[in-house]
Amino acid sequence: MPKGISLDFQFTSPIDRVWTAMTDPITLSKWMYPNDFKAVVGHKFQFRAEPSQWWDGIVNCEVLEIEEPNKLKYSWISGGEMTVVTWTMEQADDGTTRAHLEQWGFEGEQSFQGASWGWPRMVDQLQAALAQL
Amino acid sequence: MDTIWCLLLLILREKVLNRLRQRDVYEAIADPTRRELIHLLAEEEESPLHYLTGHFSTGRTAVSKHLAVLKEAELVMDRKVGRERRYRLNPVPLKQVQDWLSHYENFWKQKAAALNRLVEEEN
Repeated sequence: MPKGISLDFQFTSPIDRVWTAMTDPITLSKWMYPNDFKAVVGHKFQFRAEPSQWWDGIVNCEVLEIEEPNKLKYSWISGGEMTVVTWTMEQADDGTTRAHLEQWGFEGEQSFQGASWGWPRMVDQLQAALAQL
Repeated sequence: MDTIWCLLLLILREKVLNRLRQRDVYEAIADPTRRELIHLLAEEEESPLHYLTGHFSTGRTAVSKHLAVLKEAELVMDRKVGRERRYRLNPVPLKQVQDWLSHYENFWKQKAAALNRLVEEEN
């Protein structure tokens, strides 16, 4: 299950505000979903979105790593898929925050460690292959 | 006693279903040799087995096994031409992987935009 995405964001606020938005359950619920998050490694929590016809709306998570205010890692289990979400943040000189997000499958995490070429290359191949369809 | 039988039947049913279930595309592309095979197959219209095995030090049997896994996931189609077997890539199942990626990419882009609006408002 080598699924993975990797995205970069820039938030126009200082890093401590971004950290609060990611770790305070009330603020977190305003941009994600209602949740019972706690910034404690090993804490199990849920995001509860509105259920729909094709999704029960529940994401089961466990806090895997906390490094205030730079790193937040939790498992993300939903719809029978197990992945890991990792946020890494960096304060920029101009008062903004650079954030990097990764979401990977569990197996991907193990087999792809130290071999970061694997996924981007696969994505290139995918795009090339899909262009032929 | 009934409960135990029910449980045993459920476990058995799950095991049988797992056996029958097609190999999924994610499992198929989890292995580096199989990814390399996909890469090779993507470059040619059709590749005979000896052309593919020439790129690996693992030997013909191992390459054949990997091709069998790709075939089960319907990523590869093969046909016999004379005495040799030729393989070609079927990229359709890869669409599933791309769908997953674009779903979550859009999801996180939306969420990150919402986060940004939220922290700006609080400033």
